[in-house]
Amino acid sequence: QHRRCELFLFPPFCNTLNGLFLTIYRLLHAKRTFHASQQCSAPLPPLPEKPGQVRYGLIPEEFFQFLYPKTGVTGPYMLGTGLLLYLLSKEIYVINHETVAGASILAVLIYVIKKYGATVAAFADKLNEEKIASALAVKNDAIKDLETAIEQEKKEQWRVEGRSYLFDAKRNNIAMLLEANYRERLLTVYNEVKKRLDYQVAMQHLKRQKEQDHMIQWVEKNVVQSITPQQQKESIAKCIIDLKALSKSAHATA
Amino acid sequence: MAGRRAALKAIDWAAFSERVPSEQRAMFNALKTRSDALSARLASLPEKPPAIDWAYYKTAVAKAGLVDDFQKKFSALKVPEPVDTQTAKVDAQEKEAAKTSAEYVQASKARIAQYEQELQKLRSMIPFEQMTYDDLHEAFPETKLDKEKYPYWPHKPIADL
Repeated sequence: QHRRCELFLFPPFCNTLNGLFLTIYRLLHAKRTFHASQQCSAPLPPLPEKPGQVRYGLIPEEFFQFLYPKTGVTGPYMLGTGLLLYLLSKEIYVINHETVAGASILAVLIYVIKKYGATVAAFADKLNEEKIASALAVKNDAIKDLETAIEQEKKEQWRVEGRSYLFDAKRNNIAMLLEANYRERLLTVYNEVKKRLDYQVAMQHLKRQKEQDHMIQWVEKNVVQSITPQQQKESIAKCIIDLKALSKSAHATA
Repeated sequence: MAGRRAALKAIDWAAFSERVPSEQRAMFNALKTRSDALSARLASLPEKPPAIDWAYYKTAVAKAGLVDDFQKKFSALKVPEPVDTQTAKVDAQEKEAAKTSAEYVQASKARIAQYEQELQKLRSMIPFEQMTYDDLHEAFPETKLDKEKYPYWPHKPIADL
């Protein structure tokens, strides 16, 4: 059993009082078993926040509770006083220089702990808090990164689903190109045929025009040629007579 | 492609544009401009050329038989449709794309499953306050100190401290 052999391991120079207190402690704190002593796959319970309660920094609370039913509240104090007086009177504990030294050290220690204990504890707690906070930050960042990665993957999958648009667009382009080419060909045929027919019509018109002009010219030339000098003199004389007659009639009216 | 008019499928360019990732935006814009140019060209061409007024030409043209000849040849003429060589390639591309995208989606799903697993592990971790060092090494194997490789404290290269 662990408890018995621990006692024998103590160095023999150690105070037997210390040993007494430790055995009492072990007797009273049997409930928190040493977990590695048997195979246990259950997860550990979380570590307690506060240490065991002690009175006067030395004596565990369980001791007082243990004696309470038999001796009430003052029981342990009477036991303590009696023990102390016994030790002093029988000179089992001898008062010497060490006593004074010990007492002063104790006094200074108690003063310092009472004054600065809280701040030192807060400082140590803050260090611990910082470590835990940084670990927590790492964990939270990892969680966030994973979540964004999952979202990205889902988005990419959604994108991939839209690939049909691309191929529809390509096929549409091809169809449009073919259709446009076909229409262009039809249009070219029509234009060419129309051009040729219009050319024929235009040629005919032009020929007609030229023939007309030529004929008119020819007629005019012949007429001018056919006017002989005799006829010219006669026509001029007639014109003069006509003019005189006209002027006479004009005089008469005016 | 049977028949002169393969029906042009209406494409929702807005929805298409949404799915394009930013790296391929330039290619998408090029495709869109080309598509728009083609559809503009198609719209500018009439579906059928206007009919030639044979009666007028018969009376107008004096040469005998020319117009009749033209008319006969014109109605007998069959304009060949442009042959479609590319749609087969596009269909092949589409099949390829279907295959590769199926693979990609598979791989993506595997990745998602992996991420989900890690997320589950991280979420169900005990809080750091209640962990022992053994628990920490279980949860994050990279924190475990390699005591075989570095048998002396601090069990990791000094530069890593």
